[in-house]
Amino acid sequence: MSLAKRFIAEAVGTFLLVYFGAGAAAITLMISEGAGTPVPFNIGIGALGGLGDWFAIGMAFALAISAAIYALGRISGAHINPAVTIALWATRRFPTREVVPYILAQLLGASLASLLFAATVGMRAVTVGGLGATAPFPGITFGQAILAEAVGTFLLMLAIMGVAVDERAPPGFAGLVIGLTVGGIITTTGNIAGSSLNPARTFGPYLADQLLGGANLWSFFPIYVIGPIAGAVVAAFLYDYLSS
Amino acid sequence: MKCYLCAKEGKDNDAVAICIVCGMGVCMDHLVREEVEVWQGGYPFPAKKLKKTVPRILCKPCYSAYHED
Repeated sequence: MSLAKRFIAEAVGTFLLVYFGAGAAAITLMISEGAGTPVPFNIGIGALGGLGDWFAIGMAFALAISAAIYALGRISGAHINPAVTIALWATRRFPTREVVPYILAQLLGASLASLLFAATVGMRAVTVGGLGATAPFPGITFGQAILAEAVGTFLLMLAIMGVAVDERAPPGFAGLVIGLTVGGIITTTGNIAGSSLNPARTFGPYLADQLLGGANLWSFFPIYVIGPIAGAVVAAFLYDYLSS
Repeated sequence: MKCYLCAKEGKDNDAVAICIVCGMGVCMDHLVREEVEVWQGGYPFPAKKLKKTVPRILCKPCYSAYHED
């Protein structure tokens, strides 16, 4: 398979993740606009159904990720996440020369998804929904946010190693299990720092928000680079150590 | 083992292979041997076609059923 086709597949896969996943977060904020929130820790997601709001957002991510993996996994591998690409590269499973093209594809797909989502829904998706951009919640420090993202991505990468990378894994379950794992992580850690687990998933909404006159959140971006990459790399090396 | 399809025609020929689908013993005249591509990978690595293929033997009824369309 040519690198060009794999580039397109990675971009499309990340597009699906951001359009439907981050889009669900934006829609939740829009439909909860004006709803009273009993505690400052609640910024709107959770105002409608408590943790059920996060579960719904998590399921949107889960199903979009599963679809992307089953549809595009054979073509590009469907990493759809720079942290996953870097973790596979760090453990010498992915060629160095393809790391940058894969990450560029993921960032491109995520950005296009956020722009198209804004075009689909309108400017309220930017001004109210923030295009589903992630940021630390009230009371959460920069360090805590990095820790939450790292722990969440640690579980995601551990699942990828066990259910997909390991040749002993039963075939056919990877897409479903990995999608549901992301859904579960989002349900628990979404209200800490947004549970991005993926630098591209945060990059797309950030860029589109800025281009369309929304909030400028770039000061938080290091959280979503350091946390996910650290968590994914540690998980990949730990899995290799445990299974060696 | 005798060829099942020959036996149905009243002939008595030895079977040289077994159909992987129905398990029927078949002679050289009643089998189709084809090479099947083997793919490796899929997630999180792109699938790639291996250089070598795997042989597959089917009886003629099973082969025609698979290739009906």
